[in-house]
Amino acid sequence: MIGMIMFGVAMLMLMAGFPVAFTFGGVALFFGIYAEGMDLFAFMPFRIMSVMQNTVLMAVPLFIFMGVVLQRTKLAEQLLTSMGRLFGGLPGGLAISTILVGALLAASTGVVGASVVAMGLISLPVMLAHKYDKRLATGTICASGTLGQIVPPSIILIILGDVIGIPVGDLFKAAVWPGVVLIGLYIAYILILTRLKPETAPAMPQDPSHSRKQEVVSALLAIIPPLALIVIVLGSIFSGIATPTESSALGGVGAVVLALIYKQFSFKMVWDSAKDTVKVTAMVFAILIGATAFSMVFSYTGGDYLLEEWLHMLPGGQWGFIILAMLVILILGFFIDFVEISFIIVPILAPIAEAMGINMLWFAILIAMNLQTSFLTPPFGFSLFYLKGVAPPEVRTVDIYRGIIPFILIQILVLALIVIFPEWFGMSSTY
Amino acid sequence: AQDTFTLRLAETWGPNFPIFGDASKNMAKMAEEMSDGRLRIRIDSANKHKAPFGVFDMVKAGQYDMGHSASYYWKGKVPNTLFFTSMPFGMNAMEQYAWFYHGEGMELMQEVYNPHNLMSFPGGNTGIQMGGWFRKEIKSVEDLQGLKMRIPGFAGEVFAEVGVSPTNIAPGELYTALERNTIDAVEWVGPALDLRLGFQQIADYYYTGWHEPATELQFLVNKKTWEKLPADLREILRVSMRLASYEMLVQSQHENAKAWASIQEEYPNVQIKKFPDEVFQAMKEANDKLLKEAAAGDELAAKIVKSQQEYLEQSRAYTDISERAYLNTMGEVE
Amino acid sequence: MRWIIKLDEGLARLSNLCGWVACIAMILMAVNVFYDVVSRYAFNEVSIGMQEMEWHLYSIVFLFGIPYALRTDGHVRVDVFYTNWSNKAKAWVNLVGAVIFVLPFAYLIATYGYAFALDSYSMGEGSGDPGGLPHRYLIKSVIPITAFFIATAGLGMITYALRVMSGEKSYASEHSAGGLA
Ligand code: NA
Ligand code: NA
Repeated sequence: MIGMIMFGVAMLMLMAGFPVAFTFGGVALFFGIYAEGMDLFAFMPFRIMSVMQNTVLMAVPLFIFMGVVLQRTKLAEQLLTSMGRLFGGLPGGLAISTILVGALLAASTGVVGASVVAMGLISLPVMLAHKYDKRLATGTICASGTLGQIVPPSIILIILGDVIGIPVGDLFKAAVWPGVVLIGLYIAYILILTRLKPETAPAMPQDPSHSRKQEVVSALLAIIPPLALIVIVLGSIFSGIATPTESSALGGVGAVVLALIYKQFSFKMVWDSAKDTVKVTAMVFAILIGATAFSMVFSYTGGDYLLEEWLHMLPGGQWGFIILAMLVILILGFFIDFVEISFIIVPILAPIAEAMGINMLWFAILIAMNLQTSFLTPPFGFSLFYLKGVAPPEVRTVDIYRGIIPFILIQILVLALIVIFPEWFGMSSTY
Repeated sequence: AQDTFTLRLAETWGPNFPIFGDASKNMAKMAEEMSDGRLRIRIDSANKHKAPFGVFDMVKAGQYDMGHSASYYWKGKVPNTLFFTSMPFGMNAMEQYAWFYHGEGMELMQEVYNPHNLMSFPGGNTGIQMGGWFRKEIKSVEDLQGLKMRIPGFAGEVFAEVGVSPTNIAPGELYTALERNTIDAVEWVGPALDLRLGFQQIADYYYTGWHEPATELQFLVNKKTWEKLPADLREILRVSMRLASYEMLVQSQHENAKAWASIQEEYPNVQIKKFPDEVFQAMKEANDKLLKEAAAGDELAAKIVKSQQEYLEQSRAYTDISERAYLNTMGEVE
Repeated sequence: MRWIIKLDEGLARLSNLCGWVACIAMILMAVNVFYDVVSRYAFNEVSIGMQEMEWHLYSIVFLFGIPYALRTDGHVRVDVFYTNWSNKAKAWVNLVGAVIFVLPFAYLIATYGYAFALDSYSMGEGSGDPGGLPHRYLIKSVIPITAFFIATAGLGMITYALRVMSGEKSYASEHSAGGLA
């Protein structure tokens, strides 16, 4: 029960405004010492070491570095505003461009901290400068930065494949359509919203001296170099030159090369970019370390056993089971991170599902969709913290909390569609 | 009433890792039942302690009473731990168990773990491990030059000697790396566990094994914990560990046979290959050279290598006229 | 008050030094990974030592970055109330938080991290993989070293809060809550 009380206390303490990472760590410390004694923290160096040796997370500093360089050299702005111009007088062009760039990044990495921060650096200043509504802007970035979890290659899918025992390739294939539908619905939402409330996402100003055709041509020309960078990153993965993690280094070095080509390069620019990168990276990893202390105390004080007990009380019946299981994962996702859920909850649910004759591939995709949502749900959604960490002070935590809601609803809608109409996504609910 | 003891065990694997994880669960179950609940073993998997390769340190320091892992993982900390899992061109499972329990194996292993306040016991055998998944066929030593392969530890050193480039890839990226030719080959375990990672979907050549003929896991016990236990519970623990490891060998045979049948049926692309003789010859020479180097630098290492080689020689002579003769005969009458 | 200002400035220099180390590691890491990709793809050469160097550098980036970000207020806060509070109230939050959260946390990580690194040193631990890096205690000792600097950065939060309380400094002027984007 201590674990549950600890969640409540942490939530209250966060409101005081002390840095999130140390609030997590500090609250864990008090509860940990109270319940288990000081020596529980002898596990901490091991947990920090496991973050240090988790080389997949190297993508975080490297992608952030790419984002910072693109931002400092104004190449990101050039990419997005030109893409926005292509939409002509249509409002919401920047938001749609952001979703498309987010989808591209999603296909190269599955590390949420990396893509949310990079997307925040690249597109938040541009959207704010063009008078976008803060909530729409931050919601779009968090949602599109989190796409990497469902769009393959994805860490969630790899972990689920391992925990449930399904070949990763099958999972990757099955996740493609849900990912595409999600991206499509995000864009549809922007189109509908801007039709109803054009002031939330003003159209890019058009230059009256240029014809539409001239404008399209100049926009296309401006898009090519930064887009080429993204294509290099993606291409290096698809051609096998680099692993997804390594591709992020190609992105960082490539951004510096682009800066050289555009005569934006200086050693000071690189050094300042490194400084920003270090600051943001430290913010992301401090949260990971604070959270690992938190989850350590949660599980060593018996929180995992308690959860297990509760789960075994789930009722039978295929539909009742699916709906309740999804609700449980969704609610737990508010508090616990996806790796914990994959390892604690899924091993309990999977055998029950299998015994009911549920198609495990379908079940895994449902869980993956659901876990992706957990990154976005207030108050503990990590994507929200990450974006807040790079946002200018006038963007408040509350703006981000509110901005993400429509996107969470879209994700729940897609989840419901996969539950009810699996055949639309090339799957079946039973064998 | 007699005292009850609850021991905490940290294992290197995740919570529902098949076969390996079953060995520790079986052991815990037997110990609890045989002791009528006086000896409980609570298992924490890697998701809980987050330190799959810190099991040695955590049991050494007493943060856990027991561990379930594999001895060769500690090679970087204590080089002589290498010898108690499986050696390239070494003993098969039957021969190695005989060495442990009737030869000098247990004694030598204890000599290595003693200074670290630890006891080590055999903890379950996978049987022979497969030689790995390759995307292209290996026809000569030439084909191995610059071949990028995920192959860790001592076997990686042997491969490196014959020209392979051992490569580190995060486990989460292995599938993608092999699929997209970032690397050319992957060594994992055997059909049952390999099937879960899906390598059969992306690589056609499945090579037979040589580098881990009898991979033995280990149970680690903190010495203070062991000394704290009354004599009857110690014996129950010892027997449970021994029986659980035998059970794992049997289960591995069963699961691998089942998995192999399903690979054959569902993935006709997969072909079984054996490295050419010249490749084996080169690897054997590399292996002997590395072992000689290890023995030259350390007295205890020399003693272990000598014991293993002498035992293998004697044991293999009998295996040749018994198991091998039988299998050969079976091959001929088919 | 004079000595508090002196102390605060000294502590700030320590945190900035950490930031400097992390920046160097950041640039080296990008070059390291890039080099490894090129040498593997173009020259078919793989060095596990170089591959391990990647995570050594990456660990230095985020571990040394944490005290630096503490000083530069880079760690994200939930600002539902915080932004609207006066400098004095903010100073109290930071002072109390540093005393009850940051310092004890740093103390525990430093103590247990020291034992962790020492054990590695006494065994002469190195990589178990072919061509891997020796002296693993070096990278493991970054954990207690960072904890030490987190503690000095925590002290710096306290001294800075005292300066704010005395009216000599304010949070708005020197500290920007994120705001990179
Ligand atoms: Na992805
Ligand atoms: Na293996």
